Amino acid sequence: MRLISLNVTYGQRQITNGMDLRSSQVLNKPTVEIGGDDLRNFYTLVMVDPDVPSPSNPYLREYLHWLVTDIPATTGTSFGNELVYYENPCPTSGIHRVALILFRQLGRQTVYAPQWRQRFNTREFAENYNLGLPVAAVYFNCQRENGCGGRRTS
Amino acid sequence: MAAIPMATATPTDSMSRVWSMSSLKSSLPSAVTCRLPSPSSRRPVLVSSPSPRLPSFSGLSPVNPLISTGLPGWQSFEDGFKIIDGGGRVYAMRHGRRVPKLNRPPDQRKALLRGLTTQLLKHGRIKTTRARASAMRKFVDKMITLAKDGSLHKRRQALGYIYEKQIVHALFAEVPDRYGERNGGYTRIIRTLPRRGDNAPMAYIELV
Repeated sequence: MRLISLNVTYGQRQITNGMDLRSSQVLNKPTVEIGGDDLRNFYTLVMVDPDVPSPSNPYLREYLHWLVTDIPATTGTSFGNELVYYENPCPTSGIHRVALILFRQLGRQTVYAPQWRQRFNTREFAENYNLGLPVAAVYFNCQRENGCGGRRTS
Repeated sequence: MAAIPMATATPTDSMSRVWSMSSLKSSLPSAVTCRLPSPSSRRPVLVSSPSPRLPSFSGLSPVNPLISTGLPGWQSFEDGFKIIDGGGRVYAMRHGRRVPKLNRPPDQRKALLRGLTTQLLKHGRIKTTRARASAMRKFVDKMITLAKDGSLHKRRQALGYIYEKQIVHALFAEVPDRYGERNGGYTRIIRTLPRRGDNAPMAYIELV
């Protein structure tokens, strides 16, 4: 079970596990570079937020933010097929984890997009399309911009 | 001219208990000297300020009785100190005093309230005695108000009060959404049955 390197960069900053970001810093899609050696292998990148709508009550478990398939090894997401377009994480309540998970596909064009973004289940998705276990993953924490202006009389 | 209150100074000369001006002036550096303009000469009036050799203090140190500044009559050494206090008055009764003491000294009281607000913010509802619940309302509301402001300064103030920093970060992330429209009154107290061990009146306090 080989692991592939995964570099996710928002602007200037590269994501490490558990990094804290604000929703203003993740507005645009990141540049993703994956490792591996053989250009004939294709990978799928899934970006999910498991803490929707609030970490203490996540009944919409796992919101799908981004889905890119058919990424050749050693390249990035720009070479892949963006099935679900990037939607920036914008949590209203609490601190949400946002995870990027990389799977290895068995062949080209074997993965299809789900109908809805919410109630996404990554394990079932991996089982349905025979993606197996993830080969790489990274996550960061995302929260809303600062407060609502202190005491208000309105 | 230079008035030296002779009654307060202790004599240095052990032999005689009577001061004399000449012996004093010869031994000390001339602090304040004012010379009246002599009518015969036309020299300008010389007024020398206090000598730069002496540090000029003002404020809380006792004014040196040996430096003549033309001063109040003292009766004892303690009168030279200015007494600064809060204006506190001690009465026999408790009329109008609204700070709950919770049967603890002030440092322990502050620590108890800090611990209780930390736990309430962590769990959302806690059960405690009625006196403690009504005493901690003020501090819970204060923490939520800090979180509503959300600036870095307020975050650091909250970090100085709450014992666990993850709770402060979660609080600052959740409060604008949860309490953005509510003005004050972020807690609710519900009274319950007394505690079995000591029959203390108990209450639930919860975040609204």
